[in-house]
Amino acid sequence: MSALAGAIPSATHGSTDQDDVLHEKPRRPPRRTGRALVVGGLLLLICWALLSPVLWTAMTVTKPTRLAFVNPPQFFYEPTFESFVNLWQTTSFYSYLVNTIVVAVISTVFALLIGVPAAYALSRFPSWISTVLLVAALIFRALPRFAVVLPMYDISRALHIYDTTIAISAALVAINQPFSIWLLRNFFAEIPEQLDEAAMLDGCSRWQALRKVMIPLMGPGILTAGIFMFLFAFQEYLTALVLTNVNAPTVPVFIATQLGQTLPMLQQAGAASMLLTLPVIAFAFIAQRYLVAGLSSGSVKG
Amino acid sequence: MRRREFAMFAGPSILVMSGLLLLPLYRTVQWSLQKVDYGSPGEFVGLDNYRQAFSNSRLADAAVFTVTLTLLVTAVLLVAGYVLAVLVNGLGRAKPYVLGLLLVPYVIPHIVGASMFLWLFNSNYGGVVTYVIEKLTGVEILWMTDTWANRILLAMNITWAMLPFAMLIIVAGLQGVPDEILEAAKMDGASLIRTHLSVIVPSIRGVLGFVALISIMDVVRVFDPLVALSPSAVQIGNESIMLYIYNVAFRDGGQNLGLGSAINVLLIILIVILLFPFIRGVAKEAKTR
Amino acid sequence: MSTSRRRTAAAAAVVASLSLVVTGCGAGSKTASKTATQVECDYTAPSGETKVNVLAYNSSSVDPYTNTMVSSCTKGDVTVNHEPIDFGGQVQKTTATLAGDKGTYDIIETYSFVIPQLAADGKLEPLDELVEKYSDEYGLDAINENMSEAMSYDGKLYGLPMQAQMLIMAYREDVFDKLGLEPPTTFEEMRSAAEKIQAETDIEYPIALPLLASADIVTAYDAALGSLGMNLTDPDTMTANLDTPESAKALEALISLKPYMDPQVTTFDQPAVQQQMYNGDAAMSIMFSGRMNDLTLESNSQFAQDMAFAAPPSVDGGDVLYNTVSVDGWSIPANTPLDKEMLFEMIASSVSEKASKASLPAAYPARDGMVTESSMPFAAAANESISKVPPSEPYPWTAEISNAITPIVASVLVGKTPVEEGTQKMQAAAEKILAEYK
Repeated sequence: MSALAGAIPSATHGSTDQDDVLHEKPRRPPRRTGRALVVGGLLLLICWALLSPVLWTAMTVTKPTRLAFVNPPQFFYEPTFESFVNLWQTTSFYSYLVNTIVVAVISTVFALLIGVPAAYALSRFPSWISTVLLVAALIFRALPRFAVVLPMYDISRALHIYDTTIAISAALVAINQPFSIWLLRNFFAEIPEQLDEAAMLDGCSRWQALRKVMIPLMGPGILTAGIFMFLFAFQEYLTALVLTNVNAPTVPVFIATQLGQTLPMLQQAGAASMLLTLPVIAFAFIAQRYLVAGLSSGSVKG
Repeated sequence: MRRREFAMFAGPSILVMSGLLLLPLYRTVQWSLQKVDYGSPGEFVGLDNYRQAFSNSRLADAAVFTVTLTLLVTAVLLVAGYVLAVLVNGLGRAKPYVLGLLLVPYVIPHIVGASMFLWLFNSNYGGVVTYVIEKLTGVEILWMTDTWANRILLAMNITWAMLPFAMLIIVAGLQGVPDEILEAAKMDGASLIRTHLSVIVPSIRGVLGFVALISIMDVVRVFDPLVALSPSAVQIGNESIMLYIYNVAFRDGGQNLGLGSAINVLLIILIVILLFPFIRGVAKEAKTR
Repeated sequence: MSTSRRRTAAAAAVVASLSLVVTGCGAGSKTASKTATQVECDYTAPSGETKVNVLAYNSSSVDPYTNTMVSSCTKGDVTVNHEPIDFGGQVQKTTATLAGDKGTYDIIETYSFVIPQLAADGKLEPLDELVEKYSDEYGLDAINENMSEAMSYDGKLYGLPMQAQMLIMAYREDVFDKLGLEPPTTFEEMRSAAEKIQAETDIEYPIALPLLASADIVTAYDAALGSLGMNLTDPDTMTANLDTPESAKALEALISLKPYMDPQVTTFDQPAVQQQMYNGDAAMSIMFSGRMNDLTLESNSQFAQDMAFAAPPSVDGGDVLYNTVSVDGWSIPANTPLDKEMLFEMIASSVSEKASKASLPAAYPARDGMVTESSMPFAAAANESISKVPPSEPYPWTAEISNAITPIVASVLVGKTPVEEGTQKMQAAAEKILAEYK
């Protein structure tokens, strides 16, 4: 497991300036445009294939209800947004969406708040404790969700916080914690120790060194970890399935309980999928820049 | 860093992990030795639950299915992720847009992605893929009930959801390959495939290992796709270990928390065995620092 | 990142979040459902804000009752809350909410099949005294006695009946007429009708039954067994009848339909069978009556005009049909902290005469004299079906045994286990459960 030949400078720039990270290859000579066309065509095809489930669902939910799931499938139809309107009017989709976002944001913020100092400590404390903690983090990252979530179900009922956004957020902070300290620790490890030592010689305390020197340097790294945390919490189905009921269900849980419905509700489930998907597609476009930059700066290690 | 500082910095995280991961885990181990229901104290039954877990082939079948699926998907992810990453990395100005498009399957919640797959493939709901295949070849593929067709469907869905991540990580890795060694390879007149296999791949070994690690971790615990895509998973031999636990411990008619917990514990052991090379690597690497 | 790109990204983020805000307006205040009716719901409200959670799966026959309760009983500080959920979800959440000393739900939809087990475990509140007290106010004396019986256990009422659901055959009248076919009255006739449809139309798999391997399949087996005059268990001797010749015959009867059903039929729940009918993939199907009205709606299917209904066939030509009656009703969980009188008034108002009338034609209300030939398109079929039904088996072990034999029935039906071996295994599983009740 060798470390990535990491571009430490990109992490130490402390900015989100991407262009020197995504260093473009020198322009190709003209005689290779043929190959470029083939590659471009191939990529276009791959994109189309990967997006086809989303595109087909988009078609399904804009069809008139009686054509939505008709077999053989219909390709031409007059688009309608009725299923969205019905979803909005007859279900609490809005509150599921709010739950989903609240849980994702809260759990990401807390996972980072406690994860960043922990990761920093792990990268600066050469002791068997750090080794044990890192190995534990690795194993915890791989724990079967039921092994922690079923007891959490029992515990949260005993504590009367079952079916609240707090319960899922807390669960997700914990479930997220191993991966976040693991990822962040590798970012910190790339930053030479001399830097914080210098800061401390200048009269900074450890806290100040972390806050004023390390965290600004870690911009892309923290952002990367945050994006992963957010996506994870946003997508999580099983934890929310077990820990919520009527007050705090998230959109994935809602959609899963609609798969055994008939028309018109089944089509509304599709509409819910699309409403959930559209904002995250925008998110994907924004996130990819930071992810590539953050990950290239050397966090990825075996 | 002093010990006291370490405790202060790492304390909250350790506290959260012990309270919300270790404690529940302890409860699971405890339950695995009990006959127990939700919300009531259990009764110690020794290793009965483990004996029951091994009393028929259901666990072994689920384990074989899950591990095979894991290894298969991991292999596909590594190869396809690498090829895709190389293609994307060669792009110029279009790169961020292509990356954004390719990331879409990764950001969609798995259960939602799986239901989108269902509508794409299930002929009862006008699945267009099945329709086109039948029109072209005359073969009607039974995605839901044919064991292998269903396995392929599941593998496709999982790969679809994870490929963008694998590609992203490898793209990031490729950024770090020094231009000098590429130039050197070119000077030697190495063929394209040779350059990749003997120069680039070895230099991003760590990144590929990371992709394999995440893939093994996540596919071994596969659950969400089966909920949507394999309604008769138990009958056709496509029950994953996680689905088995769910069926035993949470679904109606099977509130057998003790047995479910025992299988949980066994799954953890299986995961640790699968991850052993990685664990050793991390331990070694951490020690050398 | 260049400034222009940064701006694009920011703009995209703003647009994304704006779209959320804009579309959020109007949400949160759910509009009253189309199937809701305003009825009297005169409970004494408790002080302070109260939320009453209702667990009920969505189907066009249950929705009117649920929606009426939600819209009529939400007033002042009391909110009645219902979240849409499919049947499988209801089954799982019922078990979860009834476990432990406090549950999430205050009113749950139940059906005659699960009442004995839940009642025997003390999970539900007995309703007799409340029925007596509020009988006049909500006209509860008109509730059909047999249906109340079906929702009772050990002489006590545990669920207030809202409607009955019996099996009904839905078929495509246009297809049947064209081929000169009559609705089949036996499985034999059903097979030959299916054969003819296969031969003379494009319909490849004319029959669709809900045979979902993890759930519905055991209902089908039970209906077939009942039609052959055999019960699952004999409560007097506490023995199971699953290794009888009738049991094997019931399994074989279901297997005999396989050539005429979609090869993936073991993944079909009732909504999937409805979809088969909507799409014209199948020409006949047997489902609970609560699913029938959907088939007649033009907004669901281009074949809505062509749907016709009949009583289901009998397996072997006997008087008892391939049938089972399920009474749906409302129950109050024993572990709800809310005032039970208030909850009872809510469920009573939802099954009051006005509310029940409004559930037509989608539901077969539990009140006497409601269903006439003109009140619903499948009234004749429903009335005939309900008159030729196998006896019910209201014992606490019935549901448990059904759960235990479900995977075995499924395994036999997909051809993995021979019939003989299957019946032996089912018998063994059932005897093991019965032993605990002896």
